[in-house]
Amino acid sequence: MRGVRYWTSSLIVMAGIVAWAPQIVAQQDSTSLEARVNELDQQVRILQRLRELAADSAAAAAKDKVSATASSKDGFSIKSADGKFAVRLKGLVQADGRFYLSDSAVPVTNTFFIRRARPILEATVGKYLEFRVQPDFGQGTTVLFDAYADVKIAPAFALRAGKFKPAVDLERYQSASDIVFAERALATNLAPNRDVGLQLSGDLGSGAFTWQAGVFNGVPDLGNGDGDVSDAKDFAGRVFFQPFKTGTLGGLGVGVAGTTGLERGTAAAPALASYRTPGQQTWFRYGSSTTTPANNVFADGRRARLAPQAYLYTGPLGLHAEYIQSWQAVSRAGAATVKLKHTAWQTTGSFFLTGEKNSFKSAAPKKAFDPKAGTFGALELAARYSELSIDDATFPTFASAASTPSKAKAWAVGVNWYLARAIKVVVDYEHATFTGGTVAGDREAENFVVTRVQHSF
Amino acid sequence: MRTRLTLTGSLPLVALMAGAGVAMAQGSPKPVTLLNVSYDPTRELYEDFNQQFATYWKGKTGQEVTIRQSHGGSGKQARSVIDGLEADVVTLALAYDIDQIAEKGGLLPANWQSRLPNNSSPYTSTIVLLVRKGNPKGIKDWGDLAKSGVSVVTPNPKTSGGARWNYLAAWAWALRQPGGNEATAREFVTRLYKNVPVLDAGARGATTTFVERGIGDVLIAWENEALLAIKELGQGKFEIVAPSVSILAEPPVAVVDKIAGKHGTKAVAQAYLEYLYTETGQEIAARHFYRPRLASVAAKYDAQFPKLRLVTVDEVFGGWRKAHATHFADGALFDQIYQPGR
Repeated sequence: MRGVRYWTSSLIVMAGIVAWAPQIVAQQDSTSLEARVNELDQQVRILQRLRELAADSAAAAAKDKVSATASSKDGFSIKSADGKFAVRLKGLVQADGRFYLSDSAVPVTNTFFIRRARPILEATVGKYLEFRVQPDFGQGTTVLFDAYADVKIAPAFALRAGKFKPAVDLERYQSASDIVFAERALATNLAPNRDVGLQLSGDLGSGAFTWQAGVFNGVPDLGNGDGDVSDAKDFAGRVFFQPFKTGTLGGLGVGVAGTTGLERGTAAAPALASYRTPGQQTWFRYGSSTTTPANNVFADGRRARLAPQAYLYTGPLGLHAEYIQSWQAVSRAGAATVKLKHTAWQTTGSFFLTGEKNSFKSAAPKKAFDPKAGTFGALELAARYSELSIDDATFPTFASAASTPSKAKAWAVGVNWYLARAIKVVVDYEHATFTGGTVAGDREAENFVVTRVQHSF
Repeated sequence: MRTRLTLTGSLPLVALMAGAGVAMAQGSPKPVTLLNVSYDPTRELYEDFNQQFATYWKGKTGQEVTIRQSHGGSGKQARSVIDGLEADVVTLALAYDIDQIAEKGGLLPANWQSRLPNNSSPYTSTIVLLVRKGNPKGIKDWGDLAKSGVSVVTPNPKTSGGARWNYLAAWAWALRQPGGNEATAREFVTRLYKNVPVLDAGARGATTTFVERGIGDVLIAWENEALLAIKELGQGKFEIVAPSVSILAEPPVAVVDKIAGKHGTKAVAQAYLEYLYTETGQEIAARHFYRPRLASVAAKYDAQFPKLRLVTVDEVFGGWRKAHATHFADGALFDQIYQPGR
């Protein structure tokens, strides 16, 4: 009986086990599966979070990273993460060929040469300070063109100190890498090139109104000075309006500039200018003598300039024009001081056949030159007319009518081929005629062809 | 060259300018802006406090004051100030970070801590453990954090002041265990950090990891951050576990003399920090779960803070300088204990 009971109860237990076992196993499987799912869920969340943190770290590191860049627009630069400190290296090289046609009376050597070779170093130091240094090694000489510091407190107010372009002549104000023709027009003869001084400037309405006002050592017309020979200083100022920022007249700019100061030269250091032809040959100079230098003409009083100017850029068309009057009191031994007034003007037009937008700065071709891709770059046609008249009172006391013309006129045509933003090829022809300048009559006309390959970055 | 000045012509202009200057001097003082560079979890505290102070200051002096805030890991913030972030005041997680600003940046004197009451620490806090509702892993004290299968969230002591307090609190607990010494503490803390899957840069980031990303079983947190998480970030989802031992955290504040001097904000910066010690300032701190120093306010908010046995850095670690050199300097104990990816 006990045996039967034993076997019976054993069978019941076994049946129970058999009946419940799958459920126990299933429950264990389910618990294990849930734990596994939870574990995997945590792993996924951790990986996602690590990825977020890595992205945050990368973003933070990028903020602290010093960046080095290279581009045809801004040259080579190294910049701190916050942009407050930067050094930029830029450059301009112009390789020219000058050819003078029909120059039997005034022969000039045809030549290839380096017109400009300028390494340009710019720096940003902190929030407000900027520096620029630009020497020129062109034409076999070394000349410091720019060396200045800008304190840019706000767009409406900035201070510049050092050597730079006084804001007078519109074409001079245009960068040497951006001018339409290889050489500037006759009118530029009456404006200073570079001078040393202090200038305040401002820009209101994002270029709608700009102004400059400065005090400089003062240089003769076309002068590039590094110091002064007298205590007197020149004051220069310019206002320029661009009243319409959009539309057809969006590229219209109108302004006026002027300088005034005193300049007192001596027979040994006359402090007076000579004027050049478009081919960079001297066609006007004040009277001077190597045998009796005491008779040299020299500056003796007020020097002033007035230069109304304007430009219009609309689509591929660009026009700019200016008129300059330059007054200079001059004297020589045995003669009274006379205030002379020379006048000049020029107008230049250019048009991009390839449709690029014309502007005061060089254009970037829509498609850079690439023969394999069948793209040509940008092609610009240009024409110009300019004149410079010497005051009649100059002759004969202060210049010899037998060797110095009283007037020059020049017209020019040219073509500019922009292979890329940084590379430009220029071919110009300029015809200049003169009034007087020889015993027999007019000085021989200048027929000047210039070619240029320019690399600027 | 002789220069002629038309003095007679200039006089009316000078008089006009002088008159305008006097008029301005007699009018409202010029508005002023302060930058408070703070650590990670104080955002809400100072948003509230700044408004209150601006109102107080305007009423007292007539001067408009705008306070800008910057937050991040305390060590990282101190580095930013040394590197040029122009903070008028710093309100950081630990005195060592302000010492660094004094020492390496030379921006305030070495005795900065003695210039305000309570070692320039207007409120205190401590470190607690935040677990998920129901405490599924049964976390009761620091020892549970080193157990296998427990996932711990805490920020990186190299960048976060709060993380340093976390680390030192764990170390202090281990030292106080039977047979506890430096070796057992190191072994315990090593095991604890093996359970840390993510090291955030700051305390707020660690809270985000735990509360919003749902990672980990326990967050080692500032008490104020844990209370904030419970009351505002995840109502009913978390519980605070008060460990048997924790550390008394004394976040300090200081005027950055050189910067405030340069900005002409020294007086208002000093008043700003002093206002933290007033009853109003202490109330605001308490409302944001910082332990107030003022007895009357502390008594009022006593119920919201768990009762803990607190040790100080000075008594256990010999001060912050020593603690930093031993544990957190490059190549020191934390670098030996925690190696990412291992």
